Amino acid sequence: MRDVYAVGIGITTFTRLEYPLAEIAAYASMAALKDSGLRTVDHVYVANMGSGRINNQTALASAVVDTLSLTPVGADRIENGPASGASAIKEGFLGVASGMYESALVVGAERMREVNNLEATDFVATLTHPLAEYIYGVTLPSHAAMFARLYMEKYGVTARHLAMVAVKNQNNAMLNQWAHLHQPISLEGILDSPEAMTNNPWVAEPIRFFDCCPVSDGGAAVILASREVAAATGRPMVRLAGIGQATDTLAVHEREEPTDLLAVRRSAAKAYEMAGTGPDDVDVAELHDAFTILEIAESEEVGFFEKGTGHIGLENGETAIGGRIPINPSGGLKGKGHPVGATGVAQAYEIITQLRGEAGDRQVADARIGLTTNFGGFGNNVITMVYQGVK
Amino acid sequence: MERKLYGYRCRKCETLHYPFRMVCRGCGDNDFFEFDAEPLPRRGKLLTFTFVHNLPAVFEVARLGLAIVELENGIRVTGQIEIDDPELGMDVVGDIGIVRRDAYESRYGIIFRAA
Repeated sequence: MRDVYAVGIGITTFTRLEYPLAEIAAYASMAALKDSGLRTVDHVYVANMGSGRINNQTALASAVVDTLSLTPVGADRIENGPASGASAIKEGFLGVASGMYESALVVGAERMREVNNLEATDFVATLTHPLAEYIYGVTLPSHAAMFARLYMEKYGVTARHLAMVAVKNQNNAMLNQWAHLHQPISLEGILDSPEAMTNNPWVAEPIRFFDCCPVSDGGAAVILASREVAAATGRPMVRLAGIGQATDTLAVHEREEPTDLLAVRRSAAKAYEMAGTGPDDVDVAELHDAFTILEIAESEEVGFFEKGTGHIGLENGETAIGGRIPINPSGGLKGKGHPVGATGVAQAYEIITQLRGEAGDRQVADARIGLTTNFGGFGNNVITMVYQGVK
Repeated sequence: MERKLYGYRCRKCETLHYPFRMVCRGCGDNDFFEFDAEPLPRRGKLLTFTFVHNLPAVFEVARLGLAIVELENGIRVTGQIEIDDPELGMDVVGDIGIVRRDAYESRYGIIFRAA
């Protein structure tokens, strides 16, 4: 396998967008192509979870490649739940690493606000086990809630720790022009004041409104290329150094230790091995904080903290920008938003921006190695990647 | 006909599964139709639970109780709960009832109450 580099990145604002899904994808793609200086690529990968169900549009890749007037270039749509984005990057990596393509456009896009909030939640819930979970009314917030309750009982995580993740990430999002939520929040407002419980109602006990990511529209894109093509662009080169993917039981209740996220642990171990790095080498990370508890648990499973101590590191400011291991400087899913198919690519967008040193007010100093974890299902299918800046 | 929740036991290694799968997780045996269905026990302990407040529109309630229960034989199942003040580890007993009413059909599943 040969080395693969990211040479172009693009993104849309994450918010409610009033234009068609293929155009959301095209906007991010055009930005990435312009950033790379390339006019075309050898293949297009489109990550999306729900177009067939929520936008009444299938075969999205054909629409995207046509909207971009890139025909007759080949194009595939990749669906792997909320990990569609990282799956598509992995496919793009394989296309270039194998020598089959010299360059590839990977774009993730989702338009979830075409339906209302309850329909969007129900749509995402269709990734659960159809007979053993979905029929009961299981949703992703309910999984996060049942997981959080066990984590609180076992490790001493409190509602305050969960709220601290929300405050950190929404405040980081204030520094990110593309983020969905530009709303600074405080522990006072969502936890301590007499109005806090009105501001911050239950979604699934013990998970509250501000423990959940917003439902967003948006797109993000990255151009992957061989060393020769990448060098010729003259753009800063970031190497995709490690990829690890692991799955776990579809029904969450079948996991032997219900507070473990084994697929996160295993995906990170594989990614570190491929990259020849370990958790201590990572300077900045984007973790899949669809719910605040997940940032804490994932920060342990990828090796930044011992199991059961992630909330202590959070409390000590270790995961803030300027801390020992900054997590989600982009705002994460919590602050930036979570257009499900776009999220994995948007994580790559942030890490590549950080490794280029182009993150402005949210720049992590001297970031050389970055990590992304894209969490599909409720930990059913997880992809971790390690990126390395090339001087 | 009495409705029951079934587990699926591998004929080779006797590992019991819920829900159904095609290949045994215990021994990896991949012959077709190698499982025997057997009713799961109704009693167990509450492993974790939640009350969901933002439900898909098909659930015409303001707040729905959901839980993972560890049954007497160690098998865990996800189900609904009708318990006012649940506590982790409490004894529960399950009955089969309608858990979801879609436009054209009612779906049956397990609903737990305090034992």
